[in-house]
Amino acid sequence: MDPLLLGGLVAVITILVLFSGMSVAIGLLVVSAGFLMSFDGMRSLELMPEILFSKLDNFALLAIPMFIIMGAAIASTRAGADLYEALERWLTRVPGGLVISNLGACALFAAMSGSSPATCAAIGKMGIPEMRKRGYPDGVAAGSIAAGGTLGILIPPSVTMIVYGIATETSIGRLFLAGVLPGLLLVGLFMAWSIYATWRAGDSRVLSRAHYSWRERFEIMPRVLPFLAIILGVLYAMYGGIATPSETAAVGALLTLLIAMVIYKLWSPRAIWVVLRDSTRESVMILFIIAAAGVFSYMLSSLFITQAIAEWIGTLDVNRWVLMAAINLFLLVAGFFLPPVAVILMAAPILLPIITTAGFDPIWFAVILTINMEIGLISPPVGLNLYVINGIAPDIPLKTILVGSMPFVLCMVLAIIILSVFPGLATWLPDLVMGPEL
Amino acid sequence: MTGQHSEGVTPAKTGGNPFLRAVSAISTLAGWTAAGMIVVAVGITCQMIFIRFVLNGSTIWQTEAVIYLMVAATLVGLPYVQRLRGHVNVDLFPMMLKGTMRRMLAYLTLGTSIAVIAMMLWYGFEYWLYAYERGWRSDTVWGVRLWIPYLSIPVGLGLLLLQLVADLVAVVLRIDTPFGLESH
Repeated sequence: MDPLLLGGLVAVITILVLFSGMSVAIGLLVVSAGFLMSFDGMRSLELMPEILFSKLDNFALLAIPMFIIMGAAIASTRAGADLYEALERWLTRVPGGLVISNLGACALFAAMSGSSPATCAAIGKMGIPEMRKRGYPDGVAAGSIAAGGTLGILIPPSVTMIVYGIATETSIGRLFLAGVLPGLLLVGLFMAWSIYATWRAGDSRVLSRAHYSWRERFEIMPRVLPFLAIILGVLYAMYGGIATPSETAAVGALLTLLIAMVIYKLWSPRAIWVVLRDSTRESVMILFIIAAAGVFSYMLSSLFITQAIAEWIGTLDVNRWVLMAAINLFLLVAGFFLPPVAVILMAAPILLPIITTAGFDPIWFAVILTINMEIGLISPPVGLNLYVINGIAPDIPLKTILVGSMPFVLCMVLAIIILSVFPGLATWLPDLVMGPEL
Repeated sequence: MTGQHSEGVTPAKTGGNPFLRAVSAISTLAGWTAAGMIVVAVGITCQMIFIRFVLNGSTIWQTEAVIYLMVAATLVGLPYVQRLRGHVNVDLFPMMLKGTMRRMLAYLTLGTSIAVIAMMLWYGFEYWLYAYERGWRSDTVWGVRLWIPYLSIPVGLGLLLLQLVADLVAVVLRIDTPFGLESH
C-alpha cells in the first residue's frame, strides 16, 4: 500500500481507537501492533517490548517525575492560597487588584507546580469565592482562573516542554526560557481582558482596592518566599551550567518536600504518601504514554509513513504561513480531545521536519504548540481546567464557566498571532541567556 | 460532554470478590514499590550531585542506576495506575453509547488491551530470557547485568495484564460499571 494512504488509514484508526475509551498509551500500542502485524509481519512485534524499554532509557526523562513531585508537594500544602494572599496584599494599589493578584498567583504557582489543573485548583479555591464576594462577574472569576491555570504548561519548569524537548531532541533549558516572555504576554492579555470585562459589566467599584497594613503584608512572606527561592535556585542551577534539568529537578523535589514539611507541617506518613501516590500516578501515566508513543513512531517510520508525509508536504507549493495556519488548526483540534503530552508525542516527530523545512524555529514552534494545547485545556469537549473549576465552584453553571473562558481563548489566539509577527518574543531570551543557537 | 479521566482517584471496585481483592492488593503493592523506586532515584540523584559538586569526586554507577530505577518504576507502576484509573483516556464513544452497547464496547476495548499486553508480555519475557541466558551487560564502566533492569518488562507487563483481566472480570460480573462511568 502507498505509505501516504497507509498514513491516512493509521490516522483514522488511531482516532477511532483513542475515542473508544481505551487508555491513550495502550491505544497507541494496539494501533502499532495492529499495523506492524498487518504490514510488516509477526516478527516485527518481537521488537515492541524492547522499544518500549529503550524509549524510557533516557536520563532526561528523570526531570518529569522530579518536577511532578515538586508540583505535588506544593499542591498538597496551602502554598497556593498563601501565594494568592501575598499578591493580594501587595498589589492593593493596582486597579483591579484582586483579579490581577489571581492571575499573578496563577502565573507564579504555574512556575512552582508545572501543572495546569493543580494551578487552577490551588488558586481557584481561594480566588474564585473571593472575587465573587467582591462582586466580580462569575464568568470573569471562573474564566480568569481557568485561563490562568493553563499557564502551568507554558511557564517553566513545564513538563510539557520537557516532553517536547525529548521528542524533538531540542534543548530543554532553551525551551524553558522560551516560555517566559510568551507566558508574561498571556498574563498581560488575560489581565487586560479581565479588567475590561469587569468594568463593562457595569460595577467598576469592584475594581477598587482593599487596604492592608505593612505588617499584614510582611507577615505572609516567610510562607511564600522559600518556594520562590527554590524555583529561582533550580533555574539558576540549570542556566548557570551547574547541573542538568534532571539533576536540578531532583534537588528541587527534595528541597520542596523538606520545606513543605517544615513550613506546612507535612509530617504525617499519610500526607507524604498522598504526595508520592499522586506523583507516581501522574509520572507513570506520562512516561507510559512516552514509551508507547515511541513504539507508535517506530511503527510510523518502519512503514515509511513519516518519511512519506514529510516528502509530500515538501512537494506542496503553499505559503509557509498558510502551512503554519493549517498546522495550528490541526493542533487546536487535537488539543480539544487529547492531553497535551499525547499530542506532542504523536505530532512533534512528524511536524518537526516540516516546520524546519519551512524555515520556522523549533523553539518558537514549541511555544506556539503549547499555547494551542492551553486552548484545549479550556475548550469543550474535554477542557480539563473547566472541570476543575466546576469541581471547586459547583454553584457556577458549567455554561457560565465555558462562556467566561471563551474571551481568554481569543486572548491565546491573539498571543499566537503576536508571536507569529514577533517570533523574537520566544527566541530572544534563550538566545540572550544561552547564546545564539548553532 | 466528555472527559479525559486523569484527575481524582477513583479506584476500580472489587465488591468483596476474592480474585479482584487479591489483584487489587498486588497492584497496590506494585504502586508502593514504584513510588519507593522514585524516592530512591531522588536520593541517588542528590547523592550524585553532592559527590560531583561538593566533594569534586567522580560518579560511576549513579546515572545508570537512576535511569533503570525510573524505567522500573514506570513499568512496575502500570498496574497500580490502571487500578486507580489513572491512565488518561478519552471516553467520547462510551459517553455516546448507553446500556448494552457501552458494555459491549468495554468488552471490546478491554479484550483488545489484554490481547496486546499479553503479546508484549510474551515477547518481553523472551527478551529478558535472552539477556539472562547470554549474560548481557551494559557497555558502561559499571557494566550492570542487563537481565536485572529488563526484569521490569515481564514483571510490569504481567501485573498490568493481571489488573486488566481483573477489570474485565469486574465488568462481566457487574461489580464495576463499563469504563467506570455512572449510568445515566
